[in-house]
Amino acid sequence: MPIVHNGAVTSCVFFAVSGNSYSAGTFISSTVGVPALTHSFCKQNNPAVQTMDPSEVEFLAEKEMVKIIPNFSLDKIYLIGGDLGPFNPGLPVDVPVWLALNLKQRQKCRIVPPEWMDVEKLEEIRELERKEDAFTPVPSPYYMELTKLLLNHASDNIPKADEIRTLVKDIWDTRIAKLRLSADSFISQQEAHAKLDNLTLMEINTTRTFLLDSLNCMYKLRSNLQPGSNKGKALDY
Amino acid sequence: MDSQAYLPVPPGVGMEENFFSLDDILLSHERLSCRTECAFPRLGFLEKSGDTRDIAEGTKMELPLWLAKGLYERKRRVVSVEVPKVYREGWRTVFSADPTVVDLQKMGPYYYGLGSQMLHFDSPENPDVAQSLLQTFIGRFRRTMDSSQNAYNEDTSVLVERLDCLERALFRSGQSGLNGFQSWEKGRASHLTASTLVLNYRKRKMADTQP
Amino acid sequence: MFCEKAVELIRELHRLSDGQLPAFNEDGLRQVLQEMKVLYEQNQSDVNEAKGEGRADLIPSIKLRHSCLLRNQRCLAAYLYDRLLRIRALRWEYGSVLPANVRFHMCAEELEWFSQYKKSLATFMRSLGGDEGLDITQDMKPPKSLYIEVRCLKDHGEFEIDDGTVILLKKNSQHFLPRWKCEQLIRQGVLEHVIS
Repeated sequence: MPIVHNGAVTSCVFFAVSGNSYSAGTFISSTVGVPALTHSFCKQNNPAVQTMDPSEVEFLAEKEMVKIIPNFSLDKIYLIGGDLGPFNPGLPVDVPVWLALNLKQRQKCRIVPPEWMDVEKLEEIRELERKEDAFTPVPSPYYMELTKLLLNHASDNIPKADEIRTLVKDIWDTRIAKLRLSADSFISQQEAHAKLDNLTLMEINTTRTFLLDSLNCMYKLRSNLQPGSNKGKALDY
Repeated sequence: MDSQAYLPVPPGVGMEENFFSLDDILLSHERLSCRTECAFPRLGFLEKSGDTRDIAEGTKMELPLWLAKGLYERKRRVVSVEVPKVYREGWRTVFSADPTVVDLQKMGPYYYGLGSQMLHFDSPENPDVAQSLLQTFIGRFRRTMDSSQNAYNEDTSVLVERLDCLERALFRSGQSGLNGFQSWEKGRASHLTASTLVLNYRKRKMADTQP
Repeated sequence: MFCEKAVELIRELHRLSDGQLPAFNEDGLRQVLQEMKVLYEQNQSDVNEAKGEGRADLIPSIKLRHSCLLRNQRCLAAYLYDRLLRIRALRWEYGSVLPANVRFHMCAEELEWFSQYKKSLATFMRSLGGDEGLDITQDMKPPKSLYIEVRCLKDHGEFEIDDGTVILLKKNSQHFLPRWKCEQLIRQGVLEHVIS
């Protein structure tokens, strides 16, 4: 089973920041256990409530790889999620975002921003997004989460951080407005299916419950049009 | 976003009710104007005037939906049910002209739910009623969506004022998605908070102890 | 009309939409059951009469009472079921020990049900994640750090952390504690998570 990892856990295994016995086992509860259990125990009656918390989406984004330049040396380390390192001062190395942020917070590295996190590139994307009716491909499936994580923790490593923040927010707003527009035409034209190409998890997540509930209502109101589809009558008192 | 462990049984929406749903039980308690098509011996006391032993044939009575449904039969008429005004032609024309101006809270509050339930009773108007319900929902959808997506940290009572129960539920799910995202954006998503249930209990306890 | 008492029970729950548990309405329940008994007995005698004396004209009334019986049954079932959903939620919101004012609102059978649920959950959690088991009520959100800053919102007395140190949770005092030790106390409103 592939085990996803998280800053808190592995930093404990790896750097022994504490004597806490926060085992991989306990950790799984936050990823596999909780959605599985709350869904089957608490949410089974209400399919529409099956939504993720944004913090869970962010958690998934923390698995994305990012380049860092460490200022320490350490041999390769072997974790359940894969091997990392070796780390040599001044030599760039790819690590997951959770680790990059952890190292950065303790001033152990400099983060190299992803290529797309660049004012010119983002301006291009923004213009394209505004021009096109459909959703354009985004530079990263976690562009929003990564922007927030990296700018909040490593803005000193990212040139023109404020401009980037505004640009990404603009792109997000444009896309969300599009999403709403297409949801409305989806409903008004009584469509049965839709393609969600190029939408990211965070975008889908903010509207999932609402859209599913709405579609469910519309489906029920449409079934009203077919007389004879009412079986449950005798049971209702 | 609060993780609420209590999730009530959702309403059935449409023609089928959900047996355990509190919403559906209250919906099916809505009163309908009915006319008895036969006598009901020994139940005279149920009627308003209540001074006769039996309910006579042809008596006009307000019956809850669940009872009208329970008594209703296609073959043998025991009661006939009058379609409420909102679902009749006059109002249907108003709805089709501009569904967004209608105050469904006042007309309903179970506009869609009760309308769908009315389809259990045979009537030549049923296809039109069903069509009108669907078109009204579609016509109002944009409004429901926009208000639910634009109302962060505002007083939402004005926005939901004219929505029917079903639309209110949609409004709430739209809000929870929006609030979840915005609190993440502000960096509050990983903030551990007290259970709202626990806090509400405490409020109640305080209220109880005050004289 | 019949069944008004039963709907009153449903309204009682519906008013508390946040999941609070109102006091178990034993009296309301008894009245509904009483009404059902009367309806049943009247139907029984009308059925006998309809059969024995060929009084087909009684059938509509029998049917009406029968509908009422089913309606009462549905309301009672929904009342009890919805309460169980709330009680189950309490285990997740409060933990395994409920405050007295909450327990006070449960009937004996519900208390029994709660303790059975608690046991099933504990057995399940013990069966997970190797020898130590796995507390699935923890980490409802992905943890960002092992330790968190918390402030006491009320006096809670002494509190032992993993390494055996005992600290005093005094109102307005601030501590840096293992997250997993605090999560439940935060949910209960004893501690407040402080983000710098």
